Amino acid sequence: MLDQNIAREVLQEAVRTGGDFAEIFVEDRIDNTLMMRSRRIETVNTGRLHGAGVRVFSGTNAVYVHTNDTSREGLMACARQAAAAVKAGGKGCVIEPFNAVSAARPEEILLLPTDVKAARKAEKLRAAEAAARAISPEIVQVVANYIDHVQDVCICNTEGVFVTDRRVRTRLSVNAIASNGTENQTGADNPGASMGFEIFDNLIDPARVGETAARQAITMLHAPICPAGFMPVVIDNGFGGVIFHEACGHSLEATSVSIGVSEFAGKLGQKIASDCVTAIDDGTIMNAWGQIHVDDEGTPAQRTVLVENGILTNYMIDRLGSRRMGMPITGSSRRQSYAFAPTSRMRSTFIAPGNDDEAEMIATMGDGLYAKKMGGGSVNPATGEFNFAVNEGYLVKDGKIAHPVRGASLIGRGSEVLLKIDRVGKDLQLAQGMCGSMSGSVPTDVGQPMIRVSGLTVGGR
Amino acid sequence: MDMNLFIDRVLEAAKAAGIETAEVYCVTGENFRASAMDGEINQYQVSASAGLSLRGTVDGRMGYSATQAFDEAAITQLIEGVRESAALVEAEEQDEIFAGDESYPEIPETESDLKDVTPEQKLSMCLAMEKAAREADPRVWKVQRAMVSTSSNTVRIRNSYGLDLTDSGAMCMAYAAPIAKDGDKTATGGWMAAGSRFADLDPVAIGTKATEETVCQLGGSPVPAGEYRIILRFDAMQSILQTFSGVFSAENAQQNLSLLGGKEGEVIASPAVTLMDDPLLPGGFGSQRFDAEGSASKTKAVIDKGVLTTLLHSRKTARRQGVASTGNASRMSYTAPVRVAPTNLFFHAGDKSLEELMADVGEGLVITDLAGLHSGANPTSGDFSLLSKGYTIEGGKRGRAVEQITIAGNFYEVLKNIVAFANDLDFSMGNIVSPSVDVGTLKVSG
Repeated sequence: MLDQNIAREVLQEAVRTGGDFAEIFVEDRIDNTLMMRSRRIETVNTGRLHGAGVRVFSGTNAVYVHTNDTSREGLMACARQAAAAVKAGGKGCVIEPFNAVSAARPEEILLLPTDVKAARKAEKLRAAEAAARAISPEIVQVVANYIDHVQDVCICNTEGVFVTDRRVRTRLSVNAIASNGTENQTGADNPGASMGFEIFDNLIDPARVGETAARQAITMLHAPICPAGFMPVVIDNGFGGVIFHEACGHSLEATSVSIGVSEFAGKLGQKIASDCVTAIDDGTIMNAWGQIHVDDEGTPAQRTVLVENGILTNYMIDRLGSRRMGMPITGSSRRQSYAFAPTSRMRSTFIAPGNDDEAEMIATMGDGLYAKKMGGGSVNPATGEFNFAVNEGYLVKDGKIAHPVRGASLIGRGSEVLLKIDRVGKDLQLAQGMCGSMSGSVPTDVGQPMIRVSGLTVGGR
Repeated sequence: MDMNLFIDRVLEAAKAAGIETAEVYCVTGENFRASAMDGEINQYQVSASAGLSLRGTVDGRMGYSATQAFDEAAITQLIEGVRESAALVEAEEQDEIFAGDESYPEIPETESDLKDVTPEQKLSMCLAMEKAAREADPRVWKVQRAMVSTSSNTVRIRNSYGLDLTDSGAMCMAYAAPIAKDGDKTATGGWMAAGSRFADLDPVAIGTKATEETVCQLGGSPVPAGEYRIILRFDAMQSILQTFSGVFSAENAQQNLSLLGGKEGEVIASPAVTLMDDPLLPGGFGSQRFDAEGSASKTKAVIDKGVLTTLLHSRKTARRQGVASTGNASRMSYTAPVRVAPTNLFFHAGDKSLEELMADVGEGLVITDLAGLHSGANPTSGDFSLLSKGYTIEGGKRGRAVEQITIAGNFYEVLKNIVAFANDLDFSMGNIVSPSVDVGTLKVSG
């Protein structure tokens, strides 16, 4: 998708004014989306994203110019604009010979979604929606979305990287709404993977996805509002891992660490979490939603141990971050599309399995909250303040699960909460999400076994 | 391929392929963004983009397809995409392509100077803003972002009825986000201003205000859990209105995703509440002459003194209810299907200043920042429980900084409990804006 001679010419132009590194990212991507609502297939949409970006560094100064015009003229125009904007006085660089490789692994994808008729995709939505409605007459609405994409990229740079890759992902998402006429509550389930349409043969049963979403909505409709207070919280596996993602993960990205803004900057080798916490960001898990073959700078994916037995061991570092920090890159530079300059991002991020017994965790917690299903959250890396929503929670009284509660949120500071994790269970599970940050929205996994936090502020009414 | 030629070819190909009615929706734009840190420009991004979607009916059913490549292969993909999509769609009430209104309003032009602004001027503004923020208080440790962005966009709709509409707009924005440190305390904050005239952006004022907003949060701490009288400052209420604006969509109401379905004519809010949707606001972020279906724009009150007067409609949702479109058909991007969205949505301002509202309240909290709206607020149920920052009101006056608390409530109840709006409505903050507002009591945990 990119001619090597043109690429060389464009890179040459990009560093003409003294840039000491330049990179081209070309993307061609097909997105298929289907949406079912009110028992009907409402929209079926195919989109083709197409464009390229040229990035130039001069020291730690970065310029990014992008366009839809991927012709030689279009790319040269980007390079000229970037060269004109880059800080003058750089030492320039030579263009290394390209080492052209393909990072694509077609053997990992059995049925390319672009080869599957939309009618077959619609069947999956119908199955999910029917199963959700069958749970209860109180389910008044089901919104089911099917998405897939096939993204072809070519990434090359002045250091001789010339890599092509194909990224394929498929996801089913069901939102169920339960209502008693005056109040609405929602439930959701959104599994996905770096797989093609074979995902429905061996990973996702659409009916189960629909049922899970509907059960959650019904449970929450009949749940009283969560009381506010400070209490111990047990967080279940799977999407519960969003606590590490928000409370710690974002603050370990070079984006904030490299400029000293993160509360974990300068703490390598120091204890930042309880001894029972080991946390990993892994781009190499085959077929995982957060899997990448190469990152969006063309670096092969890695498994990065971030925290080992409570000690901070590494950060997630992109090329620009690496220059600022003087540390090696970790193959985790990502972007939503060519319309974003890449930066350090998470891939599949999880707390590793521990040795604690799940039943004991709840039995010995006294009064508190059992967060069975978490929603999304956000964090301010500079202060470490995080927040996230509890989509399905249960009040625990005297070590026993008493009843469901709705509307709870959890808030705290990353550096404090990690030290308050006093139990880590054995059963690790990953769950899929879209993570938004400076370089756009990228697919990431969160994950953990069941864990317990000795005390957290629970927002409720 | 040249865009005009490409559109001609697409419409011809659609006709030849038996697509009964067809419409091209095309968005082109240019964006610039730069940011400074530690006295240097550290981020610089420029782009030119174009995206086009084709929608069309086959056997009366509407299919969609979109592209950013403008070659022969793209034409084939668009046509096949629309045909495959139309064959599957089974919505009860179909979208339809519109031949157009008889006339379209003109929006009074605010003279934009953006065409004449050079990149150097924008970089100078970043640097000046960063410097002003850094120097406004010794406790500023770093300015993590001092960003200036400009964007221009053109939307074009052309369809098989011969409708051909074009609308263009340009905006600029400046934003500063300092980090302040005092001992082991860290605080972040920010300030932004935006509009259609670059000359109206004052980098020193924005930088200085950003620092004021940040240092005042230093040393904040929670308050004891309980019920508090709450004023949501204009920016916090803006976040709430943005998050819950979907409840005013007739599409959501018809789909059981809003509780306002069938409530037209009923009291849904306190008499202090008038909510406007005004696409004709001069210089407004959401101003437009026509909506995404080509309907002429019009101004309307959504809530008039507490009474729900209308929901926001596209042609499809309006037909379903036997009313006229309110001109609120919207496409989130060139690739998105037609949905319903507000244009410039805002609450009418009151007479009193924020300080006067605080004096009326006596004891309570002013909330200036809400976090985690995408997860802690549920647009369908109206429930929210959000990490918040602000300050106490003690004896009617500003007290100490507050952080690490949540406020929890329900948007539908908040509408009913609103006591008064302040007079600080500011259209330079976005297309959905609000004055500061006394919302009565809410539950706080800390």
